[in-house]
Amino acid sequence: MNMNPPLPVPPQIPPPGYGPRPLGDDPAERVPITNPIAAIEAILRQPRRLMYSLRQPGAGGLIAGMLFVAVVCSLIYGVVVGSFSGHEQWWAAPVKISVGLLISTLICLPSLYIFACLSGSQARLAEMFGLVAGLLMLMTLLLVGFAPVAWLFSQSTEHVAWMGALHLLFWFVATIFGVRFLNAAFAHSNARSSAGLNTWIVIFMLVMLQMSAALRPLIGRSEEFLPSASEKKFFLSHWADCMDASYKHRSRGND
Amino acid sequence: MLTAVKPAFSVGEFLRAEARRLREWMAQRDAGLVGFCVAAVVVGAGLYGAAMGSWREPLQSLYTGIKLPLAILLTTLGNGLLNGMLAPLLGLNVTLRQSLGLVLFGFAVTAVILGALSPVALFLVWNTPPLNAATQLTSPEYGFLQLALAVFIAVAGVTGCARLWPLLREWAGNAQIGGRVLFAWLATNLFLGSQVCWVLRPFLWDPAGPPRFIGREYLHGSFFETVFEAARRLIF
Repeated sequence: MNMNPPLPVPPQIPPPGYGPRPLGDDPAERVPITNPIAAIEAILRQPRRLMYSLRQPGAGGLIAGMLFVAVVCSLIYGVVVGSFSGHEQWWAAPVKISVGLLISTLICLPSLYIFACLSGSQARLAEMFGLVAGLLMLMTLLLVGFAPVAWLFSQSTEHVAWMGALHLLFWFVATIFGVRFLNAAFAHSNARSSAGLNTWIVIFMLVMLQMSAALRPLIGRSEEFLPSASEKKFFLSHWADCMDASYKHRSRGND
Repeated sequence: MLTAVKPAFSVGEFLRAEARRLREWMAQRDAGLVGFCVAAVVVGAGLYGAAMGSWREPLQSLYTGIKLPLAILLTTLGNGLLNGMLAPLLGLNVTLRQSLGLVLFGFAVTAVILGALSPVALFLVWNTPPLNAATQLTSPEYGFLQLALAVFIAVAGVTGCARLWPLLREWAGNAQIGGRVLFAWLATNLFLGSQVCWVLRPFLWDPAGPPRFIGREYLHGSFFETVFEAARRLIF
C-alpha cells in the first residue's frame, strides 16, 4: 500500500497561444489584470490572460501600466549600459535607450496595423498597441534579468565593440521572447497568414538597430549628446567603424 | 511538546533524493534546505579549491578555497532573476524562489561531488612536480594540473545539472520543456560563471606576483574576449 499522498502537481503553463482553445475559455484567463505587477506576472506565466485582457473594454489602463514597466525597466538597463563609460552616460544612456524604444515602437505601429489588416486580422489598433506594449514590457523585463551579467562584463572589459556585441546579444534574446508573445497573440486574431507579421518583425528589428546608431553613443563617450547631421550612418557602417577603431586600439596596445 | 523536530538534511539523503522528494523540498519554504545547499557549496567547493591552490602555497590555498565557493554563489545569485524569468517563458511553471532553489540545489550537488574529489585533487597536486623558479605558464606540469582539475569541475558540474533533469521533466510534464529549461539555465550559468571565474582568477598560480585575493589587473578584459583573441591569433 502506498502511504505517500499524491503531491499537488503545479498547473502546466499552456502553450502561448496557438491551438484550438479560444482566449478566455479558462476562467483563470478572465481574471482582470489590475496593476503593473499583475501584468508582469501574467506576461511571464499566463500570456493568454494578458491577451484576453487586452481585448476587453477599458484596456487603456493596462496598456499604460505595461508601457510604464517598459520605461522603468529600460531605464534600469540603461544605467547598466551607461556604467561602462560613467560620467554623462549615467543619465544619457538610460534616457536614449528608453526614448529610442518608445520612438521605434511608434514608428512601427502603423505598419503593424496595416500588415495585420492585410493578413485578415480582426484586431483593433488599440489591441495592436497593447500587444506591442506587451512585447516591449517582456523585452525590457528580460533585459533587467540580464543586467547583472551585463554589469559584470562592463566593469571588466575596456572595449566598446565587445560591450556592444554583448548588449546586442542580450537585446536579441529578449526580442526573440517578445516576438514569440506577439506571434502567439496574432494567432488569435483570425489572421489568414503570419507573413505580414513576420515582415513587420524584420522591419521593427531593423528600426531598433538603426535607432541605436542614430542615438549613439550609447556605450562609449562623445562630446555631443547626439551625432550631428554630417555624421549620419547606417547601423552596419557604424558597427564596422567601431570594430575598426577597436582593432586599431588593440594594435596600438600590442606595439 | 509544542513543535515537531524536523529531521536535518544528511548528505546521503540529499544525494539520493528522487524527483518526488526534490519537489517536496521545493514546494516547502524550507530555510533548512537553502542553508544546507549554501553550506554544501562553501564546504565542498572550498575543500576542492583549497586542494587546487595548495600547489602554489598555503595562502593561495586559502584564497582559492574562498574564491571557488564565492564564484558558485555569485553565479547563482547573478542569474537568479534571469533564470526565474526564463523558466515560465519556456513553459515551466515555477516561481522565482523555486527556480533559485533548483539552481542552488544543482550547484550544491556539484560542490558535494567536488568536495568528495578533493582528496583525489590533493593527491594529484602532491604528485605534480612542485612549483619552482623554472616553472612557466607553458610548463607541462602546470598545463596538466589545469586540465585535470578543470575536468573534475566539468564532471561535477554536469552531474549536478543532470540531477535536476528528472525533476524538471516531471515538473514540466514534458521532456521537451524540461530540456529547454535545463539548457537555458546551463547556458546562462556557463556564460556568467566563466566571467566570474575570470574576474576572481588566479585559482592555481600567476607568475606575475605573490598570491593576492583579487588583483586590480584581473578586472581587465573578459573570458570570451581572451578566447576570441586567442582564436583570432591562431587563424589570422
